[in-house]
Amino acid sequence: MVRVKSRYLLCEINVSDRRDLLKLDDRAVAGAVRAAVARIHGDYGTAICSTRFWGEIYMNSIKGRKHLDMISLACSLSVSFSTGTIRTCQKFLIRYNTQQLHRMLPKCKNEEKRQIEESILSCSLVDRDDDGFKDELESEEDEV
Amino acid sequence: MSPNDTKAESSGYQRVVLKNASPHHYLKVRLLLEDETCRVSSVELKSFIITCLKGLHGEVGAALDVGVLKYEEETLTALLRVQSRGLVKLWSSLTLQGSYQNQACAFRVLQVSHQRNLC
Repeated sequence: MVRVKSRYLLCEINVSDRRDLLKLDDRAVAGAVRAAVARIHGDYGTAICSTRFWGEIYMNSIKGRKHLDMISLACSLSVSFSTGTIRTCQKFLIRYNTQQLHRMLPKCKNEEKRQIEESILSCSLVDRDDDGFKDELESEEDEV
Repeated sequence: MSPNDTKAESSGYQRVVLKNASPHHYLKVRLLLEDETCRVSSVELKSFIITCLKGLHGEVGAALDVGVLKYEEETLTALLRVQSRGLVKLWSSLTLQGSYQNQACAFRVLQVSHQRNLC
């Protein structure tokens, strides 16, 4: 059984006005990435993206192992992390968010402090026993 | 000299072995146009080649270092030089190009070599 090789990119979208984030959805991001790939890699890049890139499924994940460099070049988003499984992506995201909460903690007042402390304590990846999930765990050595 | 060598020489072919990979490749191409009276200067040809590259491979393709070393305007035949890593990109772009200034056109790749004197 040959495993389909794919890569997930965890991207951070930087905007000047935070209200603009509300206008963003997965289709808009996928469209922007496709347009950037078309500009930089032409018809060839567009054709490859049409078969091996699924930006619509997860808001911030990009598939396509072989063409990872192609997408990272074209992507104007800052790529925080790239990995072989979506679970590793989630683990990184939780770690990253926990760090952010730790940074916010000293600046907060009583009520906010309590809420953030609760959030930090609740940061964990839910364990599941699905077979598909086990497969992903086994293949975590693919992590870049 | 072995009999095989004699045979190779008599057929006009020469075997060249390089110790290191050649940095450049050379292509001898001919541009075929629907309107045979149409004239294309070397500058226009170079611009057209870059347009071909940009169409298929985007800005990455357009940034490839392609040089027109020799060009015969009468026969529309040119000798191009390209970095070895860009050979496939250039060749595919030229092959897939089908129109020039709203008329049908085609590039015929006559010869490809890693040495200029063999082209």
